Amino acid sequence: MATDTDTARIEGFGEVSRVRGIIFEYLSLGASVLGIFALAVLLVYVTIDAFDLAGTSPLWLLTYFVTLVVPFLAFCLYSARDREVTRRAVTVAGGGLVAVAAVFTAIETFVGQIPRLNWQLAYLFVVVAPLTGYLVYMGARGRPGAVGFGLVGRLIGGAAIGLAFSVLFLVFDERLWFLAYTLGIVPGLFAYAYGQLRNSSTAVTAALPVSLVGVVLAVFVRDVLRTYPTTTFIYLWTLAIPIAAAGALVVNARGSRTAALAAGGVPLALAAVVGLFGRAIGLGVGGPNALLVIALAGVPVAVYLHRVFDVGEGVTGLGLPVLLVGGALAGALVVETFGIPTPNSWVSGTFLTEAPSRNARDAGLYPAIVGSVIIIAMVAVLSFVLGVATSVFLEEYTADSGVVGALTRLLQINIANLAAVPSVVYGLLGLGLFANLLGFGFGTAVTVSLTLSLLILPITIISAQEAIRSVPDDLRRGSDAMGATRWQTTKNVVLPEAFPGILTGTILALGRAIGETAPLIMVGAATTVFSAPSSLFSKFSAMPMQIYAWANFPQAEFRYGVVAAGVITLLTILVGMNGTAILLRNRAERGS
Amino acid sequence: MASSHDADTEGITRRKSLAALAGAGALALAGCTETEGEDGSDGSDGSDGSDGSDGSDGSDGSDGSDGSDSLSGSINIAGSSTVFPLMSAVAEDFAADNPEVSIDISSTGSGGGFSNFFCVGETDFNNASRPIQPEEEELCADNGVEYVELVAATDALTVVINNDNDFATEMTVDELSQIWQSDAAELWSDVRDEWPDEEIERFGAADTSGTYDYFVENVMGEDGHTDDYQATEQDNTIASGVEGSEYAIGYFGFAYWFQNQDQITPVAIDNGNGPVEPSLETASSGEYAPLSRPLFTYPSIESLGEEHVAEFARYFVSQTTNEDLVAGDVGYVPATEETQEEQMGILEDAIEQAQG
Repeated sequence: MATDTDTARIEGFGEVSRVRGIIFEYLSLGASVLGIFALAVLLVYVTIDAFDLAGTSPLWLLTYFVTLVVPFLAFCLYSARDREVTRRAVTVAGGGLVAVAAVFTAIETFVGQIPRLNWQLAYLFVVVAPLTGYLVYMGARGRPGAVGFGLVGRLIGGAAIGLAFSVLFLVFDERLWFLAYTLGIVPGLFAYAYGQLRNSSTAVTAALPVSLVGVVLAVFVRDVLRTYPTTTFIYLWTLAIPIAAAGALVVNARGSRTAALAAGGVPLALAAVVGLFGRAIGLGVGGPNALLVIALAGVPVAVYLHRVFDVGEGVTGLGLPVLLVGGALAGALVVETFGIPTPNSWVSGTFLTEAPSRNARDAGLYPAIVGSVIIIAMVAVLSFVLGVATSVFLEEYTADSGVVGALTRLLQINIANLAAVPSVVYGLLGLGLFANLLGFGFGTAVTVSLTLSLLILPITIISAQEAIRSVPDDLRRGSDAMGATRWQTTKNVVLPEAFPGILTGTILALGRAIGETAPLIMVGAATTVFSAPSSLFSKFSAMPMQIYAWANFPQAEFRYGVVAAGVITLLTILVGMNGTAILLRNRAERGS
Repeated sequence: MASSHDADTEGITRRKSLAALAGAGALALAGCTETEGEDGSDGSDGSDGSDGSDGSDGSDGSDGSDGSDSLSGSINIAGSSTVFPLMSAVAEDFAADNPEVSIDISSTGSGGGFSNFFCVGETDFNNASRPIQPEEEELCADNGVEYVELVAATDALTVVINNDNDFATEMTVDELSQIWQSDAAELWSDVRDEWPDEEIERFGAADTSGTYDYFVENVMGEDGHTDDYQATEQDNTIASGVEGSEYAIGYFGFAYWFQNQDQITPVAIDNGNGPVEPSLETASSGEYAPLSRPLFTYPSIESLGEEHVAEFARYFVSQTTNEDLVAGDVGYVPATEETQEEQMGILEDAIEQAQG
């Protein structure tokens, strides 16, 4: 090993491999930069079109930059508490301004006009956006930043989940849910709680059957009973109260009973008052949806506030929402006072709440958003259940050898191949099987969700299998050695370990499902609908369908403005969905 | 989940909170209730019934006929992508006036709509940019689907060239046919000697499109359509293809050019009486021949038996003369009063047949 000749050869070899290594490294870098750059340019232009930034006055940008972005960045720096980071951020922001302005002017002078961009926008996208991302990352590592982002995240996330619920209740019968909850879930929970309290295992075991009987009973009672509480009361009783109770229990587990009552009760009271009397006392908001949103955002926020005060660290971070709202208000005030023209953004309140129209300015995406949300919720449930069940069976239950093993391998190969089948083919399958043979109807939510579930099922199964396979065998053997049955091992050891990996696969697959158009066209989903669907068997449209139709409209306003706004909406919902799943996954990873 | 070690403290809170829950629930039950039937206009249940998804609501199914003041139900429309903008503009207004009627429109192409949806009884209307064809008639007859033909508007099929193309701004129908027939001319100079020695780049409608059928029938006739072209259902693709190459040519419905007049140049067509540019006037007067074509919609007679479908069909015909909508917003030629009266007559007969 250590002779002279050997060393010489090794050195010579090292010389060559270093050059190749360097070339390889830079080629990989180049490839990734090219891909990301192309995507970034596309997204920048879509954003510019969607918010009409090209026509925005630089003064407007400057106003909000000063009132909103600068304080936010300052907050991040304050939270990071690192001189080095501050120095870097200031250098980048200042130097970037000069550099972008210089480079941009040079390109415009020597190369040619860059369409729909000016140097202010270029600065925004090239310097401010990445800098904000970096500082958010650095800020979140400090306690105030973590607290601030946690609070804002709970506010936004809770509101989004509340809205998603109210969308789902457009097609799912809330009265049936009310009965199922009252007759099934509540008695079941009672039985479970009683069993836990009195250490009676019979009561705990009875909880599930009691719930099931109650739910079945509810289906029959629904046909007979004609008088129900109003929707607001149903939401209050079936959703807001249990959430508040859960919040109170969480706080109570940390010790304080008064705080627990406050954490559950205050948001509940607020939600109930606004939901029931909001319109009547002239708040402008009210009704069942307001109740849902307030309850779902309020309870987590209250619980979080309690924890922050309990820990007593980074309490200043709670000022972040105030800072953001204050900044936005200040910006609006300045814009109003000095009469700075505001950009005519295509993404707006009416775009999200109105039906499609022939006039680009009136056009909205509401029915398609509702359609997509309902479809994706059903697809998530269906593909998760089916995918996890299949992968658990394939990994934990079937034999590896013999005839069964050979069959399993055949099945594996088929599943892997199915993942590569074009989506149009799944569309045909859905058309033939669900729409025609089983009679679920053309383009209904049921047909569309079943088709999309089939489409992503192979991906879900394969990734779930990988996750289950990566659980160390030692854990299984250990569990076996303790005398656990296979079901107990799967439930208590394998699935909790594999859960983060399974979620990752499902997230990726759902991202594909929400953007699919071809199978939707095949099963006859509508291009345009004018009102939100009212049942699972009414005709659905989905965001990609409507965006595709708009891209083909003769008017340029549709092809640029409205389509861009649609794309931004679709991406926002996708990112929101993935963000929720990633948070869940990270929490699961930390927990295990 | 709650752990058991501090069961005592939890128990009390839980009992208290359960009491609170029960109180609130009782309040909810006693205080604010509503009874189904009173709130038929609530939306969630009224439309359930007509969808037939909820068996128990069978009695509500007659909603449409007894409540003549408020229509409800769903209307399914598929078919031509050319008629799609017109139909969705009309549907938008109708849906705004009748919030209980849910209308959905799919842009499938005339042929796709007939064969996949209309003639198998899935849709109430099929839009078409050419009359229904014999094999489609057969399919409809096999499935027992009866229909009437209504003229929706007139379109001027527009042949477009690049803005830099200054030689081919006028063409005879014969020259057009030479460019598009099945053994098509390869070079511009093959069509007319003074035109340049450059290859012709063709962008046209896909063969599922009614535009394709109409173009073949009225320009090439027996000679058929060339395969050597970029086929698409998207007018947008045709326009950007033509915009991108000086020696390109394409054709599509008038609306796209009407809304994007700077992007590309229309060709004036000479049918023996001198070149005529496509426009709302020349199409309406019939001067722009042979490329001005009627657009159709085909309601199914069975569907017209339902009041909300019949009412929508009446509304549609009444809107075909609305200049703001048909010409201004969409870019087609509105029907004349006479045509409208005639179509209304056909429609009323069909409705009578369906409902009588």
